[in-house]
Amino acid sequence: MNKFVGKVTVWEVIIWIILIAVLLFTIFPIIFMMVASFMDSKQILAMPFTWIPSSEYFTSADRTFFTNFYRAIMGNNNNPTFFRNLLNSLIIAVTDSVTTVLLASLCGYGLAKFRFKGRNFIFLAIMSTMMIPFEAIMIPLYMVVSGMNMINTYRGLIIPFLVSAFGVFQMRQYLLTFPSEYLDASRVDGLSEPGIYARIVLPNSKPVIATLGILSFRNQWDNLLWPLLVAQSEAMKTIPQYITKFSEEKMTDEGAMMACAFLASIPMFILFFTLSRYFLGGAAVYDSRKG
Amino acid sequence: MGRKTYSIERKQAKWGLIFTIPCLVFFAIFSFYPIINAFITSLTNRRAIARTSEFVGLENYVYIFTKDNGGFPLSNSIRATLIFTIGTFIPMIIASLIVAVFLMQLRKDKYRGFFQLMYYTPAVLSSVVAASIWMIIFDPRGLMNQISNFVMHTSGVDYNWLVDSTMLQISTMMIYFWKYIGYFVILFITGLASIPNTIYEAATVDGSSRWHTFWRITLPLLKPTTAMVSIMAMLQCLKTFSTQYMLYQGGSSRFPIDVITMNIYFTGIRNGRLGRASAMSIVLFLIMLLFTYIQLRLTRSSEDVEY
Repeated sequence: MNKFVGKVTVWEVIIWIILIAVLLFTIFPIIFMMVASFMDSKQILAMPFTWIPSSEYFTSADRTFFTNFYRAIMGNNNNPTFFRNLLNSLIIAVTDSVTTVLLASLCGYGLAKFRFKGRNFIFLAIMSTMMIPFEAIMIPLYMVVSGMNMINTYRGLIIPFLVSAFGVFQMRQYLLTFPSEYLDASRVDGLSEPGIYARIVLPNSKPVIATLGILSFRNQWDNLLWPLLVAQSEAMKTIPQYITKFSEEKMTDEGAMMACAFLASIPMFILFFTLSRYFLGGAAVYDSRKG
Repeated sequence: MGRKTYSIERKQAKWGLIFTIPCLVFFAIFSFYPIINAFITSLTNRRAIARTSEFVGLENYVYIFTKDNGGFPLSNSIRATLIFTIGTFIPMIIASLIVAVFLMQLRKDKYRGFFQLMYYTPAVLSSVVAASIWMIIFDPRGLMNQISNFVMHTSGVDYNWLVDSTMLQISTMMIYFWKYIGYFVILFITGLASIPNTIYEAATVDGSSRWHTFWRITLPLLKPTTAMVSIMAMLQCLKTFSTQYMLYQGGSSRFPIDVITMNIYFTGIRNGRLGRASAMSIVLFLIMLLFTYIQLRLTRSSEDVEY
């Protein structure tokens, strides 16, 4: 016992204190969001702040149970587009992550496992687009999209993010290490080239596909700038745009805003806590299209 | 025989091209065309409503660099962007490096995994959610004033987190710092994990103290990672938009936090001045290209570091 205590040095105690302090800093605002979802504005901005929602919120007669969530869904001007906006965000994020995975793996496969004229040129051309930040081309993209009459459409919101150069790069790097013998064996067995891609390459790239899919889902779920340009009607707006409405000047409804933020975060929390290793793995690589 | 192999290879080559064409077409339309178009538009007086455009030469560039653009000049945006970038990425790099080094000292992988997960959680939230949480914390009656009063031994002082122009800039930095610290900790941990344990063992055998080991071994070996992560953090900070936009929507003044992306949005979309906004986009593009170039130079020159 004494021996064990002796092993814990002052240094280690300091390390633990600092690590826990950082931990409190990162998670307390999230806990704040969660508890504030069950408080009224008076309690959220009370001095001193109490971390436990008052029982009044749940019991008082004049206020509906879960009233913040009700207002979050109904909107601050009783325009209930919450579910539509949530659905829009889901449609955009899911579509873009699926197409990113498919197109990037197809292109990465072509670049990694085939020799053809102009291959290096194509690879360099695609890589060079990583240097073009989305923020620098959003105005001309907006003109392209409005020229094609795609303002206020899913097409306009989805198409600019169908695939990312980073995704192509990641898939290519992964497939370079893929044993060519498998591919040749399948060719001998008479599988067509698209068949090899669909039956051999895709099923054998699951980890990188998961990482890439999650990254691209998260980026679209987080996207505010492009929907601000393209989604102008209430029905086509996305969840980040919906949340900004609660902060508008002099209409701030703190409780409903936190409830709305909480609701909007649930899909990401579910993804994060079930697939955290892909998130943490994906963090270690850089995505140039992230804002 | 030889002829047959040749035709098989040619057949395969055809498929390689077919597989890469969809992406190539995509990038041609949605990356190359827009950046060329941005440059062309920046030389015209194109506006959103009229849909007419005339060639005006470098007029837009002269305008954005010399005129005050309705109270929000580009020079102010460049200042706001650079201050935000420097004020965010330096503390972030230092803090995440220290935290990552400390995490590596933990004896059990299980604890390290737990901390990593918890530090990363804010990065999962969308920027808008992050900004909305902190807006309430920064409220005059909010948690941040209470904590500041406690720490500074004052009572009832309002630190004007979202009102005072300096404090407002610090607030945006704090939000960004909070959101991305876990992300950069993980990047550093990846770098630290690639340093072979034998080096540390040798240092311990030689009687090197922890402090000494950190300065003389860990830090020099981590230089490539640090260089890469710094530039990455910088590039990300240069593109910031959501945090500033959200605080502006919440009633904070635009001027101190009018970063380049926000100015592009307001000039191009709200005011319909597509020509001027395109000129600003090109300026942003050139700034980022410069940073990317530095990044490439740094990562290339550091590749020859061997353990």
